[in-house]
Amino acid sequence: MNEARTLLIRYDEIGLKGRNRKFFENCLLDNIKKALQGLEGLRFRVPRGRIVIDTTAELAEECSKCLAFVPGIASFSIGYPVNPDFEEMAALGIQRLETRMEAGKGFKFCVRTQRNNKLFPKTSPEINFEVGSRIMAALSDKGLTVSLNEAEVVIEIEMGQKETVLFDHRIPGIRGLPVGCSGEVLSLLSGGIDSPVASFYMMRRGCRVHFIFFDNQPFLGRGGHDKVLKLGKILNRYQSRGRIYVVPFQDIQVAIRGHCSPENRVVLYRRMMYRIGEAMAEKIKCLGLVTGESLGQVASQTLENLAAVSSVVTTSVFRPLIGLDKQYIIAEAKKIATYPISIEQHPDCCSVFMPSRPATRSKKKKLERDESSFPWKDLMQEAMDKTEVVKLDSQVAE
Amino acid sequence: MIYLDNAATTPMDPEVIQAIEESMRLDFANSGAVYRLGLDAKKRIESASEEIAEALGVPATHRLVFTSGGTESNNLFIKGLCFPDKKAAYMGLEHPSVVETLKYFENFSNEPLCLLEAQKEGRLDLPRAIPLLKTNRARLLCLSHVNNELGTVHDPVNLIAAVRSGSPQTRIFLDGVQAVGKLVLSPDIWPGLSGYSISGHKINGPKGIGLLVYDSRVDLKPQMHGGKQQFGVRSGTLPVPLILGLAKAIQLAVERVQETQLHLKKLRCHLIDGLQALSERVPHLNIRFNSLAGDDVSRQSPSIVNFSFLPVEGEVLLHHLEEKNIYVGLGSACSAHSKEPSKILTGIGRTKAEARCSLRISFGRQNTIEEVDRFLGEFGDAYEHLYPTFRMKRTAEK
Repeated sequence: MNEARTLLIRYDEIGLKGRNRKFFENCLLDNIKKALQGLEGLRFRVPRGRIVIDTTAELAEECSKCLAFVPGIASFSIGYPVNPDFEEMAALGIQRLETRMEAGKGFKFCVRTQRNNKLFPKTSPEINFEVGSRIMAALSDKGLTVSLNEAEVVIEIEMGQKETVLFDHRIPGIRGLPVGCSGEVLSLLSGGIDSPVASFYMMRRGCRVHFIFFDNQPFLGRGGHDKVLKLGKILNRYQSRGRIYVVPFQDIQVAIRGHCSPENRVVLYRRMMYRIGEAMAEKIKCLGLVTGESLGQVASQTLENLAAVSSVVTTSVFRPLIGLDKQYIIAEAKKIATYPISIEQHPDCCSVFMPSRPATRSKKKKLERDESSFPWKDLMQEAMDKTEVVKLDSQVAE
Repeated sequence: MIYLDNAATTPMDPEVIQAIEESMRLDFANSGAVYRLGLDAKKRIESASEEIAEALGVPATHRLVFTSGGTESNNLFIKGLCFPDKKAAYMGLEHPSVVETLKYFENFSNEPLCLLEAQKEGRLDLPRAIPLLKTNRARLLCLSHVNNELGTVHDPVNLIAAVRSGSPQTRIFLDGVQAVGKLVLSPDIWPGLSGYSISGHKINGPKGIGLLVYDSRVDLKPQMHGGKQQFGVRSGTLPVPLILGLAKAIQLAVERVQETQLHLKKLRCHLIDGLQALSERVPHLNIRFNSLAGDDVSRQSPSIVNFSFLPVEGEVLLHHLEEKNIYVGLGSACSAHSKEPSKILTGIGRTKAEARCSLRISFGRQNTIEEVDRFLGEFGDAYEHLYPTFRMKRTAEK
């Protein structure tokens, strides 16, 4: 089955752009090409408002699996090239509808045409009528009916200057903007449910997201590290070229545990994470930090504690989940396939470092006093120096 | 690498690997087939069974059934005999494959009899336990021959004699997974045992194979239905290479048991002495043994030493030792997600904190005195390094 197919890829937000639209289109085209790397024999075209790939039936299916992971695509269809001839278009329409028909069960359909070739002698409604009536003649006795407003299947015809394509379904994309068009950010990835979702949201707004993970293998083993790598690989499918920075965090945690007020520990850990995150972001030219914080979800995510943490950095901190509730975040995590990994049982913090009663309203002065009791700048530098980088493209997602 | 977690699993003996390799090449036929190839495979299984029976001294009254491992053997015997309404007893310190199997009976209004109140030093105190069996009319008593976390031993000879005279209607099932190869099995025990389970990978054999030895007079109901292999008790095509590997492992384990026991005793004694010496040398280190410290193999397995060392968490020590390429075992876990500490240690009266702050060292034939010394050195260093972090009171846990 190596018949010709035409993949029609639509984008919505880019279509609203003005003079810089070409930039966004090129960005999306590059990302699509990267996502389809390794598939031979694809021909890319960019007619206005579309990206089109000429390919074969077999490859179209493969492409379709990959395109579902590319932000910036509103929807796409696997189209059938056809001559602008009513008989031929109707025959193809009948063939497509018959594959969807179950014995004795009819459905409603309609034909919709978009005619860019204004030289064609019939208007769009006329084409709809000509093709639709031929299809009805063949299939009405099998239960097929016409409904313009409540059609269950829409046969769409796109008639261009040079080619005509027919298709019968639109596969939804993940919408948003193409990765890379907004710049790069650094996301604090913990291994939990929230931070992967926050990272994904930023990808969908055109960011390439790199990740930073604060590791404590001497206390927790390698389980958490492996888990975060798995999450990184899954997230990287939406963007490619992502990296994970693995920062050894045990010495900082031990110092805070040993020298600071127990109730402030968690906020102090996070202040150090933010500081290291900012320094790393600056080093690798990321334009902000991303976290999975959601207001009030845990003790460290109260307004006071978020302020106490944010106050140690000047870079932008993006919190795409701030107003979302946990159930919504879980549903999103399931959609992007990070949820089953996130709930694998690996501790993200050894109980020895957790206070029994963490402060929900930590005071800046007390935090600063705590921080003056251990050499955080030296420890921070040491952790930065020992940071390891993992390139996610070279790892295959499981 | 120093591997001191032999109660979890053991490395395969080269002779076992060779036996499996050869058989994988040669014995691919289905042992249920009636042509020559199948009959040859069947013959190999029969002679492996005979070799095992001879090595263990199993009499003709008892049958050998190959399973996927210790867990399946325990499930098969307990459910096969008692499900759904026969009363079964256990001490409460057995492996989860015994405890959870019995707890499953609760769903069918058949609460198993837990004899935890009649335990002493991790073993059943027979004068107290036997009357309970009798008054509760227990049909089956399930115990570990050697406890998997503590190494405490139930001497089958005493046990059988006591149950026979005090509660003759009660049959005895022993989980022998940790016993074979470490303790000498007297052939005299079999008439008193209705069931006994063995696992391949605990005795330098392959994973994925185990054995149930059971009294053929017991009406054992199958738990897996199918082609009625193995007396109809355990259906499924038999894995010839694994069976040959298991037979080899059992033969070697039994052949070498005296020599192994002597070697393990030396290692164990050296470790216990070393830990006691360390207690005196390292400030704040206070070792409490959870296993019995003596070397009487009728009371304590020579393979296992379990000990606590407040206030440092066992899992954290485990990961510190892991960094030195030393692998030890754990009955409990450190995690902010509050995994429950070992039920076995709390069952013998240790506090939750003591249970968390414990390690299980389990020796195999391959371990050496030098390895024990390395372990002692690294353990002492890690403890000293971690003590300051853990010294603060863990009020939340108390």
